[in-house]
Amino acid sequence: MGLFDALGISGSGLTAQRLRMDVTAENLANANSTKDANGQPYRRKEVVLQEASSGFGAALANAQGGSSPAGAGVQVTGIVADATPGRQVFDPGNPDANAQGYVTMPNVNPVTEMTDLIDASRAYEANVTAMQSAKQMFSKTLDLLR
Amino acid sequence: MDLFDPVQNALTAAMQGSQVRQTALADNLANVDTPGYVRKDVDFHDALRAAMGSGSSDVSSMDFTPQADTSAPVRADGNTVDVDAESSAMAQNALEYDALARISAARIDILKSAMGVS
Repeated sequence: MGLFDALGISGSGLTAQRLRMDVTAENLANANSTKDANGQPYRRKEVVLQEASSGFGAALANAQGGSSPAGAGVQVTGIVADATPGRQVFDPGNPDANAQGYVTMPNVNPVTEMTDLIDASRAYEANVTAMQSAKQMFSKTLDLLR
Repeated sequence: MDLFDPVQNALTAAMQGSQVRQTALADNLANVDTPGYVRKDVDFHDALRAAMGSGSSDVSSMDFTPQADTSAPVRADGNTVDVDAESSAMAQNALEYDALARISAARIDILKSAMGVS
């Protein structure tokens, strides 16, 4: 109830955006990995976000006739591999080249990853600002008791 | 005569509404990248105005449930959150809460001095 919800919601946003940054960093780090653990070219990964459903506390409050909460933040439902085919590069000297001398590179586009990275970091900042704002409101409430 | 007059109760209710709005706006910002998310907002001014107009300032009877805002422009991924709009709404809400808290504190101070508690 109240402002502590806002802190938790912003916290879920921070977690989600940080995970997006981690996954983007992994994509960039593997931009030239022609082999993953299964011997296949690396596939770029993407984070799937979903609006979090209200938890037990909210259900209890509803059952007791209280007001429904303003939200429960965001949750990560999974990290999925991007299925778009990787580009073919002619490099007969590469040990991963096929019979025609072509190597299948990962489907990582550095430009996409960089924009994703900027997007995630801006969204992270927005969540930090929201958290600070809620914190300030809370301390204003505490000031009433002085 | 009650210790807390209708104005004090209305201030409390407005602060509660502002808190719920802060939570709703925080939820919008947390879901800025969630496909298909529709932004939420709380019009607690309207709820307060309705309650004050009907002559009641009963805090417990006021309903500050966040409503889905379908008027906002929809992005290609179905999301309607605009970070700039949310941030400015949040700044406005925080200032409003600050003002309400200060007025509330001043009124409590008046009550305290009337009771002889410093």
